[in-house]
Amino acid sequence: MLSVDGLTVRADAVELVREVSFDIAPGERVGLIGESGSGKSLTALSLMGLLPEGVRASGTARLGGRDLVGVPEGRIKDLRGREVSMVFQEPMTALNPLMRVGAQVAEVMTLHGRPRAEARTRAVELLDRVRLPRPAQLARSYPHQLSGGQRQRVMLAIALANEPGLLICDEPTTALDVTVQKQMLELIAEVAPALLFITHDLAVVASVCERVLVMYGGRVVESGPIREVFTRPRHRYTEGLLAASKLTPRGTRLPTIKGSVPAAGRFPEGCVFSNRCPHATQRCETEPELTGEGHAHACWHPAD
Amino acid sequence: MILYLLKRLAVLLASTAVAGVAVFAFMALLPGDPAEIALGVNATPDAVAALRERFGTDRPPPAQFADWFGGLLHGDFGTSYVTSSPIGPQIGDRLGVTAVLVLGGMVIALLIAVPAGTFAAVHHRNPLGVAISAASQVGIAIPAFLAGILLVFVFAVKAQALPSGGYVPIAEDPQAWLLGLLLPWLSLGLVQGAVLTRYVRSAVLDVMREDYLRTARAKGRGRMGALWRHGLRNASIPVVTVLGLQLATLLIGAVVVERVFVIPGLGDLLLNGVAGRDLLLVQGVVMVLVVAVLLINFVVDVTYAVLDPRLR
Repeated sequence: MLSVDGLTVRADAVELVREVSFDIAPGERVGLIGESGSGKSLTALSLMGLLPEGVRASGTARLGGRDLVGVPEGRIKDLRGREVSMVFQEPMTALNPLMRVGAQVAEVMTLHGRPRAEARTRAVELLDRVRLPRPAQLARSYPHQLSGGQRQRVMLAIALANEPGLLICDEPTTALDVTVQKQMLELIAEVAPALLFITHDLAVVASVCERVLVMYGGRVVESGPIREVFTRPRHRYTEGLLAASKLTPRGTRLPTIKGSVPAAGRFPEGCVFSNRCPHATQRCETEPELTGEGHAHACWHPAD
Repeated sequence: MILYLLKRLAVLLASTAVAGVAVFAFMALLPGDPAEIALGVNATPDAVAALRERFGTDRPPPAQFADWFGGLLHGDFGTSYVTSSPIGPQIGDRLGVTAVLVLGGMVIALLIAVPAGTFAAVHHRNPLGVAISAASQVGIAIPAFLAGILLVFVFAVKAQALPSGGYVPIAEDPQAWLLGLLLPWLSLGLVQGAVLTRYVRSAVLDVMREDYLRTARAKGRGRMGALWRHGLRNASIPVVTVLGLQLATLLIGAVVVERVFVIPGLGDLLLNGVAGRDLLLVQGVVMVLVVAVLLINFVVDVTYAVLDPRLR
């Protein structure tokens, strides 16, 4: 349904995302993980056509036969909120503070041609569907009267309103309390059509997704079914990431990946992870391809 | 909402009372006895004392204040010591002229600032947007009276298209009224418009970076559609603050512009009062100006509450 091929995102001369390719089948749930600055949010924003000013995407991304990348805004804005929706990281600022919540949910429907009265009734139904208490009353309140978790549910209601084929979630639970996080994740897992779920939290990916893409330095370095990638990581970055997230016995040092993520444009030539990788050799100065059917990795010295 | 309005109203009334005391005290502290001024240097002490009694200025200040302020509450500004005519009706006539002048200037300022500021924000990365910012910077540097003199020079002296001054009441000749006010409106409005343009630009720029604008675009709105539907009302909140401050500035600016264009407004009355040592008249006009500024602040506060549900 969604097919991304050779997606590259640039800000002036700096390459922020390079040659990212993946597919999402109808109903499939795919996780996109990586540290801050790995390019995962930019990948998602370029699919929505919502890149910040001065940042450009090239390559192709097709959703149900329509091009998403490299077309003028006027040609894809009817897809946004209808075929593909997005829930953002920060629920506190994502809603218009001067507009009632119900109206903000109804807006996404009237915008795509639903009559006003019908949209209003359905907005209340949607608020109920994302399990907000007393939806009719809540529809009349303003965002500042809701908690962060409630606002994120409102965002989810907006995203689901037109029954899109693909839902993109960019760290939807990062800003929420741990207790609220779990409910939110369960809700997303329950209501999402096809899903592209961005996070840096491995446990969250494991609980929501079937397949995972690991990004580092603007590239997909490993991809495959969750179970395989998490139990038998091939790329040395994935390996380090998993080691760093394991619980360790008391008194032992936490395993870390040495060094830190370089600034955009400062990644090494060849394998982007080579300057932090304990297994790096001369060979890593040339860029490894993402190879393998099903479970793929881009590493010259994979773990096994 | 009701509670908020009541609070603002209480603040308005309290500050009016304080302003009354301040204006009265200030005028009372100024040297100069109205009776002596009225009778001149050759008056006998008896005559001065008699006139003081007639004016009521021989009484203690608190009693005089109570008399004056009590009168104000039902629109009685007292009788001029100099011209012996009631002050209230004079102020009433002039207030209307000044209000028309100031509001017209404000409308022109808004007509310039809202489109120009929004345009400059949306196009902040390209040369035309930058040019608007620069032009508004130049406008800020020009005082209103200078703008007035320049406008008179260009449109009245060189082009001879508009009168250089004078005021015709609207009831007499609406066309002459409008033509006469055009230059004064422009000289107030152009400068204020330039100032306001910068505020509108920065308010719109701030709003353009807001997450909820991105949300609106994610819903399927275009860049401008999102800004129009979700941005402008949010951007108007800081602009209203500046607008209130500017209205107060305009009121003061009008005093000068009325002089330049020979318009019989409050500013003109105030300056005449000062020149003629008509203390009670000056006191009345100052009080009216102060209350006007307080009222503007009240309206600004109410506007906030209408615009922003978080304040209700």
